[in-house]
Amino acid sequence: MSAQHRATATGTGRSLARSRPRYGEQAIKVVLMLAALVSVATTVGIVFALAEPTIEFFSEVSLAQFFGSTEWGPLFKPAHFGVWPIIVATLEITLIAIIVAVPLGLAAAIYLSEYASRRVRKIFKPVLEVLAGVPTVVFGFFALTLVTPLLQDVFPWLGLEPKNALSAGLLVGVMIIPIIASMSEDAMAAVPNGLREGSFALGASKMLTSVRVVVPAAFSGIVAAIILAISRAAGETMIVAIAAGFKSVFTLDPTQEMSTMAAFIAQAGSGDASTGSIAYKTIFAVGSLLFLMTFAMNWFSARMVQKYREVYD
Amino acid sequence: MSEIGISMPNVTVRGPEAPRNLESLDPVFQVEDLSVFYGDYEAVRNVDMTIGNREITAMIGPSGCGKSTVLRCFNRMNDLIPGARAAGKITYHGEDLYGDHVDPIEVRRRIGMVFQKPNPFPKSIYDNIAYGPRVNGMKGKMDDLVEQALTQAALWDEVKDKLKQNALSLSGGQQQRLCIARAIAVKPEVILMDEPCSALDPIATTKIEDLMQELSRDYTIVIVTHNMQQAARVSDRTAFFTAEVDEAGVRHGRLVEFDETSRIFTNPADKRTEDYITGRFG
Repeated sequence: MSAQHRATATGTGRSLARSRPRYGEQAIKVVLMLAALVSVATTVGIVFALAEPTIEFFSEVSLAQFFGSTEWGPLFKPAHFGVWPIIVATLEITLIAIIVAVPLGLAAAIYLSEYASRRVRKIFKPVLEVLAGVPTVVFGFFALTLVTPLLQDVFPWLGLEPKNALSAGLLVGVMIIPIIASMSEDAMAAVPNGLREGSFALGASKMLTSVRVVVPAAFSGIVAAIILAISRAAGETMIVAIAAGFKSVFTLDPTQEMSTMAAFIAQAGSGDASTGSIAYKTIFAVGSLLFLMTFAMNWFSARMVQKYREVYD
Repeated sequence: MSEIGISMPNVTVRGPEAPRNLESLDPVFQVEDLSVFYGDYEAVRNVDMTIGNREITAMIGPSGCGKSTVLRCFNRMNDLIPGARAAGKITYHGEDLYGDHVDPIEVRRRIGMVFQKPNPFPKSIYDNIAYGPRVNGMKGKMDDLVEQALTQAALWDEVKDKLKQNALSLSGGQQQRLCIARAIAVKPEVILMDEPCSALDPIATTKIEDLMQELSRDYTIVIVTHNMQQAARVSDRTAFFTAEVDEAGVRHGRLVEFDETSRIFTNPADKRTEDYITGRFG
């Protein structure tokens, strides 16, 4: 057998064994793995960094105090730790943003993917993506100095406070439109053309084809876009800090000034809360809660997508 | 092969089990001097042909000969391709298909189409069939419509217990019959088929061919196929297309010969048809 092997090897004069080691391939594999590790390690690091002060916080403030009260004022004396006002404010502003951004973003995506000519798409898509890069502080001042006064003029009966959840929510919505539009457009553009043709061939109009075939087929991508947008909205800090203010009131009225979770973190973090103080630990407790809320939502939506998506091959 | 000289392929031409009076052609489509352009490029040039009512018309020819392009004019599917334009005339029951008053959506509702690659929607089997009737606002009991369409497409017995299942769980051949059922569900007058069996195995192909025979009692069928035997087996008339290079060196699809299938396959009038069906080119 081995004689035969040798004979074959000498027969062509060249063995099939690797002629020289490929160090480059190994090195690249290691570099790529390290790059992947950095992002995972960062996430794990964040969780640990949040966990310790959070645990310390709850050794001083009970869960019952935290979730059982509607009075929030950890930076005042006497301090109050009822977290509901900032949760409600966060959810309310996120909801306003989503109500603005989902219809507009999806409509823009449908237009770009199904109606626009190639030329229009080539101009619009990059413009949309540039809009996603506008610093949020710009949106914040836009809300404070333009949108709020405008709303006060046009709808005086609203009794809009100078800082309010409504303008902040509207502008957070504008901020996330490009995320929804651009990612949904990608998902819709990936839907095979055969499905559209199948629909047109049955006498469906463009609108029906878009809404009943393309959007359902791109559903998982669209939901992913909306989820990312919600996460961005819930965590948005600058716009709400500037336009919605820092007052902690337990209310659903969007005309009032209110502090979101992210705004509180920014406020307390930029203040003079000394390391180790209860105010300092509160930042981490609120941070953990925001992290858990977004995480839960992502997980839930991943399950939804699994269940309802329409897979095409 | 060479000592036999010209040998006609060993094919069965659609037999006497479907006797038809092919002489008195009852035209559904009349194509007069049709040319199709993609931008400046003339893909097909000067086509004249007639599609007979409740006949199966096959369009054969080598790749790039424009047979699919012509087929896609019959339901104005080419309108969806930017820059595509048809010159000449196609009438449908005497009405100009490209007239200003014509709504392409209405055209496509009346003239169904089945594609090369089975393209069921990523929805349930039931919803695939119900889609057309729903978007067209058709009246009637949907369950009955679905059953009727699936039965006509010879698929009902295979899927009746799993109508809620995703259509993509079906085999390729079943998917294609589902697409035929989907087309039938909107009660079209004509069914266009663009190489409906080219992605299928021989058994699935046989089933689709049997189904076409079955359907030709109620529908006018136009089929584009690469498979000459298939054209010979199923069709009443055959149009042979080829691609020709003009003086400027540009390729155009041309209709070479259009006749009863039996004549095309046994006694073609044109040398190019004969060369193609005997396998000399293409």
